[in-house]
This record gives sequence, C-alpha cells and structure tokens, in this order.
Amino acid sequence: MTANTVTLSRSSVVAGLAAAALFFWLVLQLPERDALGRSLPLSMLLGGAFGVLLQRSRFCFYCIARDFFERRDPRGLLGIVVALAVGLLGTYAIFGAWMPVPSATRLPAEAHIGPVSWVLALGALVFGIGMTVSGSCISAHLYRLGEGSPTAPFALVGAAAGFALGFLSWNDLYLRAVQEAPVIWLPRFLGYGGSLALQLGVLALVALLLMRHRAPVEAAATSLFDAVFRRRWPAYFGGALVGALATVAYLRVGPLGVTAELGSWSRTAADGLGLLPKRLAGLDTFAGCATALKEALLSRNGVFVGGLILGALAAALVAGQFQPRLPTARDVVRGLAGGVLLGWGAMVALGCTVGVLLSGIFAGAASGWVFAIFCLLGVWLSSLAARRLFAAR
Amino acid sequence: MKFSRILAAAAAGATAFVGFGAQASDALVTTEWLAKNLNDPKVRVIEVSVNPGVFERGHVPGATNFVWHTDLADPVRRDIVSKDNLQKLLRDAGVNQDSTVVLYGDTNNWFAAWGAWVFDIYGVKNVKLLDGGRKKWEAEKRDLSSQVAAAKPGNVTLADANPALRARLVDVLASAEKKSNAKLVDIRSPDEFNGKIIAPAGIQELAIRAGHVPGAVNVPWGAAVAEDGTFKSAADLKALYAAKGIDGSTPVITYCRIGERSSHTWFALVKILGYDVKNYDGSWTEYGNSVGVPIVNVAGTVWTGK
Repeated sequence: MTANTVTLSRSSVVAGLAAAALFFWLVLQLPERDALGRSLPLSMLLGGAFGVLLQRSRFCFYCIARDFFERRDPRGLLGIVVALAVGLLGTYAIFGAWMPVPSATRLPAEAHIGPVSWVLALGALVFGIGMTVSGSCISAHLYRLGEGSPTAPFALVGAAAGFALGFLSWNDLYLRAVQEAPVIWLPRFLGYGGSLALQLGVLALVALLLMRHRAPVEAAATSLFDAVFRRRWPAYFGGALVGALATVAYLRVGPLGVTAELGSWSRTAADGLGLLPKRLAGLDTFAGCATALKEALLSRNGVFVGGLILGALAAALVAGQFQPRLPTARDVVRGLAGGVLLGWGAMVALGCTVGVLLSGIFAGAASGWVFAIFCLLGVWLSSLAARRLFAAR
Repeated sequence: MKFSRILAAAAAGATAFVGFGAQASDALVTTEWLAKNLNDPKVRVIEVSVNPGVFERGHVPGATNFVWHTDLADPVRRDIVSKDNLQKLLRDAGVNQDSTVVLYGDTNNWFAAWGAWVFDIYGVKNVKLLDGGRKKWEAEKRDLSSQVAAAKPGNVTLADANPALRARLVDVLASAEKKSNAKLVDIRSPDEFNGKIIAPAGIQELAIRAGHVPGAVNVPWGAAVAEDGTFKSAADLKALYAAKGIDGSTPVITYCRIGERSSHTWFALVKILGYDVKNYDGSWTEYGNSVGVPIVNVAGTVWTGK
C-alpha cells in the first residue's frame, strides 16, 4: 500500500488517539502487581509497545517468509535476524548479572529453554502449516485483530480449540518423548562467550546469504509523519526494537510470549467441561509459555496480549490501515482450520514464533533454533503444496 | 526503685547496642536493622523464595539465592540437604564461622523459616530471620538489586545433624497413641485439619487420607503473624498457643502438609518462646499415607482413588 492510495483521514487519526487514550486509561486501572510481584501496568505498557512495533513494521512471520519464498525479498527475514542478534545480546547481558557463571544444574530464571525432541519439531512443523493455512502466526493474528482482520478472530478461536487438542494429546507425547528429551542450554556447553559467538556467527552467515538477494526499491517517504505513522517501518528497525523490548521485558516482567493466556483460557475451559485428563504430566515443570489453569482474572500475559491488540489498533487507525470487512466463508474456514493447527503446534512445542523462536533463541536455547528451522520448513512445504494444488485446478 | 530503673536503662542500652531492641526475639532482625547493616562484611543475607524469578528481578542487595527444592532438600530421596552439600553452599555464599546469617523469602518467610530450621539442625550459628520477610521489605520500598554478587568463599564448618530438632513418624505416632507426652500442633487450615479437603486449593492431593493426627491442636500458621507479616509479640504468641494447651511444659511437634509452613511456627515456638519443639517434615503427606496409623477425620471425606 503506497502513500498515494491512502488519503490521510483526520477521523481515523482521532480514532487512533482515542484508542491510545483507552489503552492508557486501562493501564491506570490495573492492580499494581500480580501474585509474583510483577508489575501488571508495565506488562501492559510493554504489550502496547509490542503491538505498535508489530503493526508498524509488519512483523508477521508468515508474510516475511512468503516474501522471501515467493519473491526473494529478504528484508523481513533480515529484520528477524536483527531482532535475534539484539535480543541475544540483551538477554545475555541479563544472564551475566543473574548467573555470572552458567550453572550445570540450574537454568536462568524463567528463560524459555525447552525440551528438544521430535515432538518439538513436529509441533513447529504443524505450526508452520497452520501459518500458511490461516495466513499468519498467532502474534500476527493478534496485531491484525487491531487492523480489523476478518480471519484473525476465527484463527484465534481455532487456536484455542487446537490448544485443547494439544492438551488431549499431551500425556501420550510426554511419555513417548518429551519426558526424556534433553533441555539444551547452549551456554552450559560453550560458555556465554562461546555460545554467543556461535549464534551470532550463524546469524551473520544467514544475513550474508540473504543479502545476496536484492531488496525491491520503495518510493521515499513524503514527510517524517508519513515515515513514522503511515509507511511500514524498515524491517531491520522493527527487528532491533523487538530485540530491545524483549530485553526489558525479560528483566522486568518475563520473556516475551503471546500464547500463555490463550492456552490458559483454553485449558481452564476444557478442564471446566471435563474434557481434559486429571493431570497433564510434567507440563507445569517446563519453562515456556506455561498454560496454568486460571486463578486470577488478570495475568501478566493477559494484560500484555490485551495491550498488544490495543497498541496495534491505535497504530493501524492512525496509519489508515484499520480496514475491517465482513468475513467470507473462506476467511472463516481458513481461520478456524489454520488456527487449530497453530494451537496444537504451539501447545506441544510449549510456545509459538514469539515464545519459542524469539525468546528461546534469545536465551541460547537449542529448542528455539529447532522451532525456527521446522516452522520455516512447514511454511515452505505447505506454500509449495498450496501452489501446486491451485495450479492444478 | 532507683536501682531497678538504672538496671532497665542499662538493659535498654545493651539491647540498643546489639541492635535488636524492638524485636520479640534476638533470632529476628527488623528490615530497618538489615538496611543499616547491609554493608557489614559479617552479615550474610540469604533469600529462600519459592516463586521462580523473584530473586533475580530484585533482592536485598548482596543477598545470595538458595533454591528450596534443590539446594535445601535432597532432590532424589525425601530428605533435607546433606551436611556436605549445605556446607559447600554456605561457604560459596561467603558464610564464615563468625558470620551473622539473615534469612528472608517470599510467601511470609515460609521457606526461609524452613532454611532456618535446616541451618539449626546442622549447627549454623547466628541465624536470624528478617521479620516480615520480602513482603515487608518491598512494602517499605527499600532498595532491591538484580545483580548477583560473587562472594569470597567462607570457612563455616557444620556440625552433624542434630536429631533433636526433627520429628520422625515414630515420634508422631507415639504422641498419637499417648505413649509420649509430646503435644502436636497442626498449622494447616481448619478445612484441612477437619478433613473437609486433603490439600489446599490449587495443590495436588498427595495424601490419600483426610484429617489430622489424634491429639493435635489446630493453630493455623497465620495466627502467629501480624498484618504486616511480622511475628506477633512474644506475649501475644504465648497467649495464642497457651489457649490451645501449648505452654512449653511438654515437648511440642509441629507439622503441616510438607513441613515448610510448620517451620514458620517451629521458629516462633523455639526462637521466640524458647519451647522444646521438633518440626515433623514428613508432615501430612507422610502420616496421611502411612498404613495403619490412627487418624481423626471429622468431616469424613473419603478418598476415592483418583
């Protein structure tokens, strides 16, 4: 969408400011802390900032992957590489303060370092397929809710159902593989310096390979207002801010993640309906997007996600990118079906592109890298299959 | 008259010098005292909290983190940490033979009190509990740090475990069967005590029988603390337990579900009132699962195998 096709509408800017005002009003209504002493208002503020970042830089893992697979446009993937590099550096700085020497027995508090097994790979693959089917990953569906997307609400409902299916299959998968799967934290084997050098080296290599593809040239912004509030931010800029935001979030509230609240609602509902087994073996012992039964109405992930949606809404309104339309049957089917795949994948992988891919790699977790590889593989294979299917018609 | 006044003044001066003037017991330190003495190299502060990430995001400056499940308990068999492991842990935390160790933690010092009990078993000297714990320190908006400082290794040497502080199933059974004069204090909620529920809300039922040990009196742990989380005065505590027949004239055994909240009451009874008390760390999860032991189950809840 270029600047010429959208005329700046004063009313949409006013609506955007109203959404921002509602956001800050809600922040002020929140209780100061949750049960663990984390600041709920801060969590919501970070969520709002994350929503603005995602919306303004179109930080949508599926769109980014498709841009590259279909048009060899490397910019979005380079943005993710920048996010990973900045987040890694920031998270490692915190690790150095909290745990000066990487412990052989303990993991840094709450860092999303998960078990590595074929269940993780399968979950990531299915998640990637769900991205193709529904047109987004979960975080992007959340920010697109703020853009008035007709698919996003169905994808999120589907994801909640997918979570419930994930819970149903959990005990079996846990005993088959997850229980004995190694939880691999790279600093434990290579030290902080070694593991940082290795991961930054891999990111640099990926960046170099991506840079061989030339980015399409876009028309320059017409004004500073246009550049900040209307046009998409450069992906590397959005990526750097995501990495910085993740660092602050980990220091003050917890690692970035967007599925814990959705999973909690799903688990509480399914449990309330008597659908779930009495116990989900070992589930609550892993760090990651924990999906505990709901105890308090307001959780830090809940207010984070609420903030994300409102932040994205405000940014989309000001940009003139809030364009709701009535869902078609296709939107509903794609959303629901893709959402189920997203939810199941995110449940068995203990998180999604944000909670496992970003937060995992930031923390030097092998699980983050495994998720990244298999999720991209899922997107690539399913996109290929979809093109063949439609080409055959 | 005049003489007693001089005596009182001298006593007040002495306690002010030591610095525990306003305390119910010299086993407690106030948040104010700790804030003033943080830079004293002889004072070592240790946090024992149960919630993850609490210590890392802000602790009393200079404090070291001990993790209850892995540092203070044996991770394989059900037991407290071994002497060697605890000694290494304390030395790594910079604890010397002449150090003053101040313990504190979240959830009203439950796990910090467990730490104090374990330290006492191994003869660690000069162990204090921060009165009011993390809750009061935070409520007073005192400084918090998220830096973990490496301590200079200490030289503390531990004694062999002192069995006199720890009750075993046989001790509890002897009391239940009136073969000993030890009195039992069950510090769980009245609903657990009466057998309406087996475990508190949100906690998995690890015992397959409901109720309490015959002869036990129910004084929930929270009855021993004031609104701000500090222990009540010695006089109030004395009256509280005396009303239930616990007056220090006979030995006492405290228990709860897994032995950690009862450490809190153990601390009050031993360190503030000076009674002879053992903590039963097997608690209801051991007793309520034991075959053939007598149980009082007022509510009559029956475990149905799920």
